[in-house]
Amino acid sequence: MKRIFALLLCLMMAFSTLAGCSGGNNNPTEPPAPPATEPETNSPDVAPEPPAAPSAPELGGKMKVVATSESYVDLFDKFTEATGVEVELLSMSSGEVLSKLRAEGGVPSADLWFGGGIDAFMSAKDDGLLEQVQFDAMSQLTPGFIDPDGYWFSKGITIVGFLVNNSLAGELNLEVPQSWSDLLDGQYEGEIIMSNPAVSGTNYAVVNALLQKLGEDEGWAFFEGLDKNISYYSRRGSDPKNKVTSDEFAVGITYLDRTIDALLADYDVTIVYPSDGIPWVPEGVAVFKNAENVDAAKYFVEWLFSDDDNLRQLAEIDQKDGIKIIKPSLEGVELGYDTSILMDEDLSRFGAEREAILSRFEELMGDKAVAE
Amino acid sequence: MYLELNHIRKSFRDKPVVQDLCLGLDRGGLLCILGSSGCGKTTTLHMIGGFLSPDAGQILLDGEDITASPPERRPVSTVFQSYSLFPHMTVLENVIYGLKFRGVKRGPAREKGRRYLEMVGLAEYANARVYEISGGQQQRVALARALIVEPKLCLLDEPFSNLDAALRFRMRDELKGLQQELGMTMVFVTHDQEEALHLADRVAIMDQGCLVQEGSPLELYRHPASSFVSDFLNLDQLAWGEDGTLMKIIKKGEDF
Amino acid sequence: MDRLSNNYRKGASFDAPFRAASLLADRALLAVLLGSICVFVLWPMVCIALRSFQDSGGGFTLDQYRTVWSSYGRSLGNSLFVGALTAFFCTVLSVAVALVLATSRGWARALLMGVLLITMVSPPFVSSLAYIQLYGRRGWITYRLLGLRWSPYNQWGVIWMQSISFVPLNAMFLQGILSKLDAGSIQAARDLGASPACILRDVVLPLIRPGILVSLLLTFIRSMADFGTPTIIGGRFNTIASDIYLKLIGYSDLEMSAAMNMFLMAPSIAAFFLYRRLMRHCSAITAARQDRQTALELPLRRCGGMGLLAILVSGLFFLMMALQYACIFLTGFLKVSKGAYAFTLQYWEQLMKYNLTSLWRSVGYALTVSLAGTLFAMLFAYYMERRQVAGRSFFDCLVTLPYMLPGTCFGIGYILAFNAPPLRLTGTAVIVMANMLFKQLPTATKLCSAALTQIPVSQERAVRDLGGGHWSGLRDVILPGLRPAFLSCFVYNFSSSMTTAGAVIFLIDPGRQLAVFRLFDAVYQGEYAIASLIATCIIAIVLAVEALAYLITMKAGSRHVS
Repeated sequence: MKRIFALLLCLMMAFSTLAGCSGGNNNPTEPPAPPATEPETNSPDVAPEPPAAPSAPELGGKMKVVATSESYVDLFDKFTEATGVEVELLSMSSGEVLSKLRAEGGVPSADLWFGGGIDAFMSAKDDGLLEQVQFDAMSQLTPGFIDPDGYWFSKGITIVGFLVNNSLAGELNLEVPQSWSDLLDGQYEGEIIMSNPAVSGTNYAVVNALLQKLGEDEGWAFFEGLDKNISYYSRRGSDPKNKVTSDEFAVGITYLDRTIDALLADYDVTIVYPSDGIPWVPEGVAVFKNAENVDAAKYFVEWLFSDDDNLRQLAEIDQKDGIKIIKPSLEGVELGYDTSILMDEDLSRFGAEREAILSRFEELMGDKAVAE
Repeated sequence: MYLELNHIRKSFRDKPVVQDLCLGLDRGGLLCILGSSGCGKTTTLHMIGGFLSPDAGQILLDGEDITASPPERRPVSTVFQSYSLFPHMTVLENVIYGLKFRGVKRGPAREKGRRYLEMVGLAEYANARVYEISGGQQQRVALARALIVEPKLCLLDEPFSNLDAALRFRMRDELKGLQQELGMTMVFVTHDQEEALHLADRVAIMDQGCLVQEGSPLELYRHPASSFVSDFLNLDQLAWGEDGTLMKIIKKGEDF
Repeated sequence: MDRLSNNYRKGASFDAPFRAASLLADRALLAVLLGSICVFVLWPMVCIALRSFQDSGGGFTLDQYRTVWSSYGRSLGNSLFVGALTAFFCTVLSVAVALVLATSRGWARALLMGVLLITMVSPPFVSSLAYIQLYGRRGWITYRLLGLRWSPYNQWGVIWMQSISFVPLNAMFLQGILSKLDAGSIQAARDLGASPACILRDVVLPLIRPGILVSLLLTFIRSMADFGTPTIIGGRFNTIASDIYLKLIGYSDLEMSAAMNMFLMAPSIAAFFLYRRLMRHCSAITAARQDRQTALELPLRRCGGMGLLAILVSGLFFLMMALQYACIFLTGFLKVSKGAYAFTLQYWEQLMKYNLTSLWRSVGYALTVSLAGTLFAMLFAYYMERRQVAGRSFFDCLVTLPYMLPGTCFGIGYILAFNAPPLRLTGTAVIVMANMLFKQLPTATKLCSAALTQIPVSQERAVRDLGGGHWSGLRDVILPGLRPAFLSCFVYNFSSSMTTAGAVIFLIDPGRQLAVFRLFDAVYQGEYAIASLIATCIIAIVLAVEALAYLITMKAGSRHVS
């Protein structure tokens, strides 16, 4: 009985591998693209459209992706077209991904990690949960936005500013804050909402960047002052935006992108790019170590960054243009803001200081946990 | 008449259950309503107790029209077929529950409760839980609970049907004694001919919602109104004493 | 003569081998039940417990516990505070609702039952969103209608929201007890002169007291384990469950959250043992009474202050529920533009463009889980209640553990337990469904156990007396007798499976999306309208399946009788 079962199992496995192979074979590699000519120069007039896709290795099977949103499905459909690799997408926050990875103890259930604050990626790299990826086009990517060893890459940049509800601000006689230091003004007491930096990579970036800018002492003094005006720290990254548009809070500290711009049509809100600098955080892409379909995931990273069409599509889906900073040679995507307003950040400190910063922040928040 | 039922009617979903019923009972008397199941006897009892209101007719008790008053306002109390004791109270608490609504203070109530428990022979069970005592004892608690409020009328709904034969005989005698001792007016519902003839001062036989005959046991024996009555009572098997009380029932097959 | 007939009875049919087989099947079944409980409940729990003693290098440490003790005492205090008050308010509400339900009749009863059934389906997040929409800082009720300026983001918001959302199940449970109350007790009390108010106070409430206590305890445990409500509307207020969630998704600190779980479980386990003792008492009072078809004879309107309070409180509850669900439905069809609302079908059309496979997959999973889970619960309850299984109380407690844990932790436990051979289940559909099944098993077995006490032991004895084995007793008496429980169990399982999220988020495999995560995604993107529509779809599907299940069981029931 047992033997029959084993036999059946073998048969099934054989079939599935066959199916996998044939799947790969049925999608012969795209017409071989010209080999990547090292595009050393970025001058727009010379730069030829980079090669459509580097010659795809034999790929097959399924690639499982955890992403911050399901809106990327079109991009992955394109990948499937190009390679024959079926893509399955699941949306998860980066904190959830990290917990899941740790619980899985080195046998991850997904292949590719797409999106989420870079600090989680750094942390995963330190835990040895990520796979190294190397490809030619890496050299065109701005250093600092990719891991020097190729463990993680950035697919875009999240920038942070304020969203102000005009009618509520008017009603409460609040001025529209123009800078981070404005937020300390007593008039905003209880009217500011921001996300818990432990949950939101975006807001962690705010904390880390401002600490870098102001220095340790002044930085913490700032957050202590800010804490007095903050109603509470929401446990989901999108809450500040949602609660400002629904008239609940006057000022939200939130990511800014073209979806926020689009809010202007339906809501009476003002978008503020703080004059004393904009904190930003790259959004990561990485391949999981020991994943079932490592090859497909690695190739995806290469495919994404090598073909500007893909990056343009990504920028369109993301409704933001930060990818231009990561790959300056990219055409057809223009930054909607001047890079000079971005704060100076040393990204390497993002991962290393995370635990210490968050525990200090927790203390700061905890002090008036039941103040209301 | 102390208790009068005048032209009572009751139907359930257009099905007449009690039809034009007239009955009467003197103070201190014991009336037995006798009939097979479904004859309307329990419905009649519920109407006297106030749990059902008649579609038509009038119920008078001690000269007062009680037809419309709810059970809690009627000077009538009932011993239920399943006793319906309160499982979360002790025996004594059960017995004195009704006194609470008659302005009796707790101390005197408990005292009176003990007296009534003594009367039914349960003095030592005062603090027992009701599910800890036997069926016969529960029966007596129910009786004491009904009598302690000194109702103008006490109703008993097949109170002995859950007891074994020997106990039934004993309880029957005890009830009769108690009734005479207290001078209590009672209406008793049963399907047991023997029980009815033994206990009752007056017997009312019902069939399909109608009163067939009403009278003292001896009257019924001497002048059965119809063959239904004589068949139902099996009158030829009865032996009567000199004073008109029933002595013995010779049942077919008893010597088998 | 006696012997002969005995032999005739037991031997004459061809059933000697059959009997042996049925004995074997009986043993095998028991082994499968207990074995799977060990695998799917005990083992993940052990994994969590072990993890709580693990340091970063994998060695043994008590550091986590020291930290928990020193840093999270306050959160535990908060949890106990919220748990106690939620248990109190929720039970008051539930008793009121149950009383109104039990004493109403006709169309009013049908209507109230309908509302309660709908509110049993509570998709995550949208209820909280509706709550904020209605009673938030700019709530339709609190601000627009009453002009209040209050913030719902505090402990009172959590208590209020939890109290309301736990009512439907509790009210159903209490209503069940009320419907089995001895009508005679009430009649007797009336007969002795008790007014309706006195009957309520002296008879009805004392009789359902064990049920009230059970409701208090179960609500307490449930509140302790609920992380969703404090996470969304707690504001700065933390409970131990919301801290665990934060530890997990903010810090990915498995060891710490495992230790915090152990911390959280202590009061819950204590409450559980109290519950078990009370439940036994409860069945002594209400055992083996037939379900009455008629309403409880107790005119609440004439029950004095308490009766009026019950009517008022439950009226408030039904009003709030109606508002809440109306708010959910409406949000899907309203477009906000510059502060003005307009009706729109745009979100509906957007939803229709979605790939609907996740919805059908959810239904498939939920159906499987409900059928398997209900059968499992019935069999388990049978072996626990009717058969002297060794280690009975151990298994009974074991099965209840998932009820005491925040869902996410039970999910993490599953990854820890089933990500390595020989039990590598991660990435399969089995692990997701097993997690749902065992997460819901505590309530499901309680429902079945309660129903089992309604089946007289004598019926089963009759089967055995007539020559049938345990197997026949199970098949011919227990399972048919559990038909009403089957329905309630199925309904509970199905609606929970359709709406569960916390436990499953870590187990779901890309490519095996469930509708609930679409909803998550929509909420996360701030697309509340889409989220509301998905929730509405889920509610509609659950109600449709429930109605179908009702019709099928009733039909099967009537065929069985005829």
